[in-house]
Formats: sequence, C-alpha cells, structure tokens
Amino acid sequence: MKARRDVYQAVADPTRRAIINMIATQPHNVNTIAANFDVTRQAISLHIQILADCGLINVKQQGRDRICEARLDQLSEISAWVDQYRQHWESKIDSLEKYVVQLKNERNGKQSK
Amino acid sequence: MENNQSNTANRELRLTRTLDAPIELVWEVWTQPEHIAQWWGPDGFTNTISKMEIKQEGEWDLVMHGPDGTDYKNKSVFKEIVPLKKIVYEHVSSPKFVATIEFEEQGEQTSLSWHMLFESHEQFVQVVKTFKADEGLKQNIEKLNQYLKEASKR
Repeated sequence: MKARRDVYQAVADPTRRAIINMIATQPHNVNTIAANFDVTRQAISLHIQILADCGLINVKQQGRDRICEARLDQLSEISAWVDQYRQHWESKIDSLEKYVVQLKNERNGKQSK
Repeated sequence: MENNQSNTANRELRLTRTLDAPIELVWEVWTQPEHIAQWWGPDGFTNTISKMEIKQEGEWDLVMHGPDGTDYKNKSVFKEIVPLKKIVYEHVSSPKFVATIEFEEQGEQTSLSWHMLFESHEQFVQVVKTFKADEGLKQNIEKLNQYLKEASKR
C-alpha cells in the first residue's frame, strides 16, 4: 500500500526526523548523512527520497555529490496544527476557569460577572 | 547542537493557567463528576460520567455527547492521586496519552499545570492529524449551522 505522502508522514519516522535535524543548520551530501546512521545507504536514500517527495528537503546535484538542504518552512504546517490542538485543550481550561469562578461567586453569595 | 531537547519534547503538550479560585474549590471541581460534567469537553457538548473513582487504579468512564448526537467514549485510569496537589490519569481509549495535572496554591488563586504525554511522536502526529480533520469537519458544521440560522431569519 502506498500512502499519500505528506509532511506528517515525513516526520513520522525517527530516522527521517534525525536527517532533518542533521541538515537543519547546514546542507550535507547524501554520503555524509548516510555515514551518520547505522542503517544501509539504500535505506537512507529512500528516506531522503520520501523527504524530498514531501517537500521537506531539496536535493541538488553538485558534481559527484548530492547535496541535501532542509526546507523548514514546510514543517510549520505541523506546528500550526499542533497549536490548534493545543487551543482545543486551552478552551477546555477556559471552561474550567469560567465554571470555577462562577461557582466561587455563587458560594460567596456574590453576583457573578 | 540545537537539538538537545528531552526525548519527550515532540510528543507532549503543556498548558499552564492561574485560576482565580482557591485550591480546594479547583480540586473539587476537578474530582467530582457532577462538576466535571459542567465544564469538560468542547462547546456544545454534554457529558455523562458513569464512573469516576478518584484513587490509584480507579476507573474513569466519560462519554461526551456531541451536538450532532455522536457519542465519544473516553476511558481512563487514574495512576496517581495526591489530594490538592496532583492527578495523573492514563487515557486508555484512543488516543492513548498520560495526563498530569498539578495544582499549586497561590494565596486565593490556584496555578494549574496540565501536561499531556503521548506514547510516541508518531501517535501525537496522528492525533494532531485526526484532530485537524475533525476540526475541519467541525468548522464546516459550524458554518452550516451559522448559515441555517441566517437563512431562517429571512
């Protein structure tokens, strides 16, 4: 089964996250990246392919090197959704806050605002 | 290296809030089903709590009834209860996470820290993704509702 490739799938794998971390600050060539991991070079190539398909990295050919650079702007999509999810919990705490203050006022015999 | 973050950073959420109410009241509102039912869940939802055993290994069964009639069952197990201090519960139905809620007295106010830890980054991403889908759906329903309201006024 071939899953639709998107940014979520890209970061769902620990090795791919490590690759992104590695090239986040400066571009590296594929061999340097592969040397950093215990998995086969083929496996790394596949991860890089997926990351490229998802638009998270650019791969440029420079002479005999394939240079990978990160496109971190794509990752902001995820953080935006994480923020929305956070907002969902924030609103739960909003309700708690409203309710507890209302209860406090009722018990103190004050008018709630 | 900048990536010197703890290995939980990419699968957790932490929220903090100072509530304008004494700690005893906040604790009460968090631990009594009749109170929880009043504030838990998104806007427009109602809640039925069939079981809430505030003790270690105590079960907590909560069903949220969505405005569209959908029921969302939530089963959790309390892992740690320290009166007026701390509640740890494990959400055992999907999505699985462990929530730690800490209460701290600040005079007449209470500071609340709400931490949620998911099993893995993969799970967290999945949840966020599902939520994204749900959120999109919710917004659509919201828009439809708005539209119907507008339409019925005409």
